[in-house]
Amino acid sequence: MDDDRVFKALADPTRRHLLDRLFERDGRTLTELESELEMTRFGVMKHLRVLEDAGLVVARRSGREKLHFLNPVPIRLIHDRWIDKYTERRVSALADLKTELEESA
Amino acid sequence: MTTMTEIQTTQVYQVFIQATPEAIWEAITTPEFTAKYFHGARISVTPNSYRSLSPADELWGDDAVLEFDPPRRLVHGWRSLYAPELAAEETSRVSWELEPRDGGVTLLTVVHDQLEGAPKTAASVAGVGWMYVLSGLKTLLETGEGLG
Repeated sequence: MDDDRVFKALADPTRRHLLDRLFERDGRTLTELESELEMTRFGVMKHLRVLEDAGLVVARRSGREKLHFLNPVPIRLIHDRWIDKYTERRVSALADLKTELEESA
Repeated sequence: MTTMTEIQTTQVYQVFIQATPEAIWEAITTPEFTAKYFHGARISVTPNSYRSLSPADELWGDDAVLEFDPPRRLVHGWRSLYAPELAAEETSRVSWELEPRDGGVTLLTVVHDQLEGAPKTAASVAGVGWMYVLSGLKTLLETGEGLG
């Protein structure tokens, strides 16, 4: 689950649409997902494949059906890796500013 | 299209962790480890019981272990005793699957299902709930640091 794959998977509107559909209702079959898109079954399968490779979708068997689930963890990890990092830097920049101002006072 | 998300009666979370299945197993079944990433809960898992204690020794979870196959598969019941309105709901089920992959990496899959009789619990563990725990577990095992 490297970041590159996640960013690439998210860079396509159809794939984001598929994730939104799964967010609304999780655990769907290919047939259900396909019925909401103006796209061939093969096209939807290809997009799901990219999402699975990025770890954003997990396919699991349930009886005879293959259900697709949204896995939000990679997005969370990107959040932790990037958003937290920048928040931390802003906080430390303010801390540095405070130290500097107080020292020169 | 509705803006409300339906209650997800099966939730699936997956994460790759740079650690052996044995190390992950220990981290999910021993209280010293779980206290560092599971909202401070001290969780003890034996072949028969899953018990979770809060930092103040309140009972947060007390459920049956349904499958105990170290270091590959753990299945236990789930009832959130930390909040009365969640505790009143039916017991759901949590499965941990550990699959070793190349390069010392393990794929951890957590499935929280049988949530039909526990809609409030389903909503409370969805999204940030399990993600926070799994992200913390990954950080702990890969860097040795707890998120607190």
